[in-house]
Amino acid sequence: MLKATIDADIFRESVDAISALVTECRLHAEPDRIYTRAVDTANVAMISFQLKKEAFESYQGTKEELGLDITKLKNILGMMTKGGSIRLNLPEGGQKLELSFNSYHYSITLLDVNTIRKDPNPPTIELPGRIVISGDVLFSAIKAASVVSDKIALGIDPSRQQFYMMAEGDTDHIRLELGRNELEELTLVEVRSLFSLDYLKDMGKIMARAEKVEIHLGVNHPVKFSFDIAGGRGHIDYLLAPRIEAE
Amino acid sequence: MRFIEFAELCERLEALSGRLEMITVVSEALPKFSEEELPVVVNFLMGRVFPDWSPLKLGIGPNLLYEAVAYVTGDTKERVIEEINRRGDAGRAVEHLIANKEQTSFFVQELEVFEIYREFERIARSEGKGSQRSKLLAIRRLFGNSRPIEARYLARLLLGELRIGIGEGNMRGAIAKAFGVPSEQVEHAYQARNDLGQVAVLARMGASALSKVQIELFRPVKMMLAQQGTIQEMVKEHGVVAAEYKYDGSRFQFHRSGKEFRIYSRRLEDVTKALPDVVKRLAAATTTDLILDGEVIAVREGRPRPFQFVLQRFRRKHEVSSYVEEIELVPYVFDILFLEGETLIDLPFSERRRRLEQAIPAYVAPQLQSSDPEELEEFYHRALDAGHEGIMLKDLESTYMPGVRGKRWVKIKPEVDTLDLVVIGAEWGEGRRAHLFGSFLLACRSEGKLLPVGKVATGISDEDLADLYALFKDLVVSEAGKEVAFKPEVVFEVGYSEIQKSPNYESGYALRFPRFIRLRADKGVEDADSLETISLRFQQRPSA
Repeated sequence: MLKATIDADIFRESVDAISALVTECRLHAEPDRIYTRAVDTANVAMISFQLKKEAFESYQGTKEELGLDITKLKNILGMMTKGGSIRLNLPEGGQKLELSFNSYHYSITLLDVNTIRKDPNPPTIELPGRIVISGDVLFSAIKAASVVSDKIALGIDPSRQQFYMMAEGDTDHIRLELGRNELEELTLVEVRSLFSLDYLKDMGKIMARAEKVEIHLGVNHPVKFSFDIAGGRGHIDYLLAPRIEAE
Repeated sequence: MRFIEFAELCERLEALSGRLEMITVVSEALPKFSEEELPVVVNFLMGRVFPDWSPLKLGIGPNLLYEAVAYVTGDTKERVIEEINRRGDAGRAVEHLIANKEQTSFFVQELEVFEIYREFERIARSEGKGSQRSKLLAIRRLFGNSRPIEARYLARLLLGELRIGIGEGNMRGAIAKAFGVPSEQVEHAYQARNDLGQVAVLARMGASALSKVQIELFRPVKMMLAQQGTIQEMVKEHGVVAAEYKYDGSRFQFHRSGKEFRIYSRRLEDVTKALPDVVKRLAAATTTDLILDGEVIAVREGRPRPFQFVLQRFRRKHEVSSYVEEIELVPYVFDILFLEGETLIDLPFSERRRRLEQAIPAYVAPQLQSSDPEELEEFYHRALDAGHEGIMLKDLESTYMPGVRGKRWVKIKPEVDTLDLVVIGAEWGEGRRAHLFGSFLLACRSEGKLLPVGKVATGISDEDLADLYALFKDLVVSEAGKEVAFKPEVVFEVGYSEIQKSPNYESGYALRFPRFIRLRADKGVEDADSLETISLRFQQRPSA
C-alpha cells in the first residue's frame, strides 16, 4: 500500500533522475521510504535512488514492489504545470497507481514486476579518489567536453593538487582544471579513468541541480556520483563503468 | 539452455561441410533441449525466429542493429558500419566489435535461449508509437549481455541468415535421426503443421504422435507447388490428367470455422482485411468448416487483368474500400485440404475434387479430365485466349503435398524460363544512375544458405530503379566499393535464355542474358527457387 502527497517538483526531479538511465524500474515502497536500484540496458550505468518519508508532505507505505513505466510517467508529468502537489495512491496489492494533480486524475497501469530486471547488486569496489564539486560546474564541464569528443577522462593530479576533466577529439582538446580553492574537498591520490559522455550528459543534467556532488574515482575503475535531492531528504548514487582505452 | 551453448553449436556446424556430419551433430544436440526450448532451437538453427505460419514478424532492420551494437560497444554507428563493410559479414564484424569494445560493463547476465525467444516475441508484438525505441532497448540489452561468439549468431539471427547450412531438408533429417522416427513421417507431419519446431516436439513423443498430426483451422499450411513440364510427359506418365487454367493472380488459402473467416496469402500472411469482397463471396458460397486452396484474379469486363492489380489489393492496409471498387477480384478454388474436422491432404486429388464440388458449388475452377494430348493442347490455347497464363496439369491420384514442388502438378505456360530469386546485393549505378542501385545480385536457396547465381541489370526501367532504390535502401547491411549487400527479403522474377555451369558464382551456375521481369512481393525468401530447381532446369535444358 502506498498513499502519499508530494511536492510536484520533487516528484518530477525524482522521475527525471531515474529516466536518465532506464525506461522502467521496480520501485520499492517501505514504511519509511521509497527506493529503486536499476541498471541501463547495456549494464554500463546504475542508479541507486531513495526518497525518505520526510520528503513527502504526507506518507503512508507498506512493503510493496511497483513496476513503473518511467517513460510514461515522465510524459504525464511533462504535461503538468510547475508547483503544486501530487497525490499518489496504490491500494494494497493494487495493479494501478492513482495519481492526482489539480483536477487531473490519472490511473496508471503498473508493469508486471517479473518482466523488469531484478535490482542489480552494486559492485564492491574501492574508489580512493574523492572530490566534492558543485553540480553546476560539473555539468558545464561535461557539456564543454562533449563538443569535442564522445569520451572524457576524469582524474586527480596530486602533485598539482588538481582535479581535472579532459576530452580529446580528433582535432580538438579540452582540459578543465580545478584546484582546492574551487572545490569543497579533494583527496590527493593519483587516479584517472575514462568515461562515455553519452551517459554523462544524461546524468549531468540531473546533477546540475545539486549544490554538491561527491565524485569517487579510481584507476580505470567506475566512477560514483553521489548527491542529495529534495533538500537532503532524498539521495542518488550514479555509477558508471569506465571505457578502457585501446592499446 | 544457455545461448552460449547454442552459439557454440552453430560454430561447430559452420565449420562442417558434409551434409551427413551436420545432420549427425544436430541430431545429437536436439534431445538435450527442454520441451519449450526444442521448437525455438529448431527454428533458430534454420535462421528463423518464428515459424512460417506465425503472423509474428520481428521487423528489425540493419539500422536498428547497428545502433544497438554501437551503444553497447561505445562506438559510433559509422564505426560499426565501417567494420561490417570491411568484413562483409555482419556477424563476424559484430563479434569483433564486442570482443574489442572499449566500454566496460558492470556485469553480464547469462542469456538463455528461451528468454531470447520471449524477447523476440515481445519485440514482434510491440507496435505503434515508441515501438522502435522499445525494440532498440531490447536489442541493446541482448548485445550488452553477449559474449563475442554469441553476438556473431545473434546478429545473424536478427538479419535472418545464420549461414551455418541448416535448411529444412537437413533439419528434417536431424529430427528423424534424433528421435528415431521415419523421415517420411517427419516430412508428412511438417506438411500438415508447417512448423518443424513443433514437429520435433511430436517426434520426441514418438512415431504415433507424429502420425496423428492434423491440419488445423487458422493455421495456414504451405501451398502445393508445380514444376514446369509438358503435356506429353504428363499424359505418358499418368494417363488421364486433370487440366485447369493457370491464373495470373495470387494464390490464397481460405479458412472457415463457423462464422469466422480468414484468407492467407501465398506467404501465409493474414490478408483477410485487405480482401473483404473475396471473403464475402467465399463466405456466402460455403456453409461448413473448411480450408480451400485457390487463386484470386483481378477482372474487368470478364477479362483477367495483370497480376500487378491483384498485388495492389493484397498489400492494401488503408482505404481498402475504395480499392475494392476499383479493382474487382474473383476467386477460383481448385483444392480442399480440410472439411468438417477431417484432414483431406492424404486423399487422391480426384476424391478431393469431388468433395470440393460438393462443399462449394460456386467459384470452383473449371476442370478438364483427359488423356488426349490434342484435347489438352486445345484447352491450353483456350486458356491463353481467355487471358490466362497457361494451364496446370495434375495427377488425379496425387495427394496434397504442402510446400512441395513435385512432378504431380505441372505448369504449362509459354514463357517457361523464369526463376524467382532472392536479391542479396547490388552495385551502384553509373552516370545519371550513380545514386541508385544499377544491377542486382541474385541468389537461390540451398539448405538455409543463399547462393549467388548471377546479376541482373537489364529490363529495369528508370522508374523501376527509383522504386527499387526506395525498397532496398533500408535493407543495406554492408558496402564495399561499389558493391552493397542486402538483408535478404526481396524476391525478383528473372528471365534468362539459358542456365550454364559457372565457377564465377557460389551456386556453380550462372544465368545467360538475365533480365528483370517483376518484383514478387507475394513471395518471401522461403518461396524463392532452390539450387535443386536450377540444377534440374540445367539437366532439362534443350541442348542437354
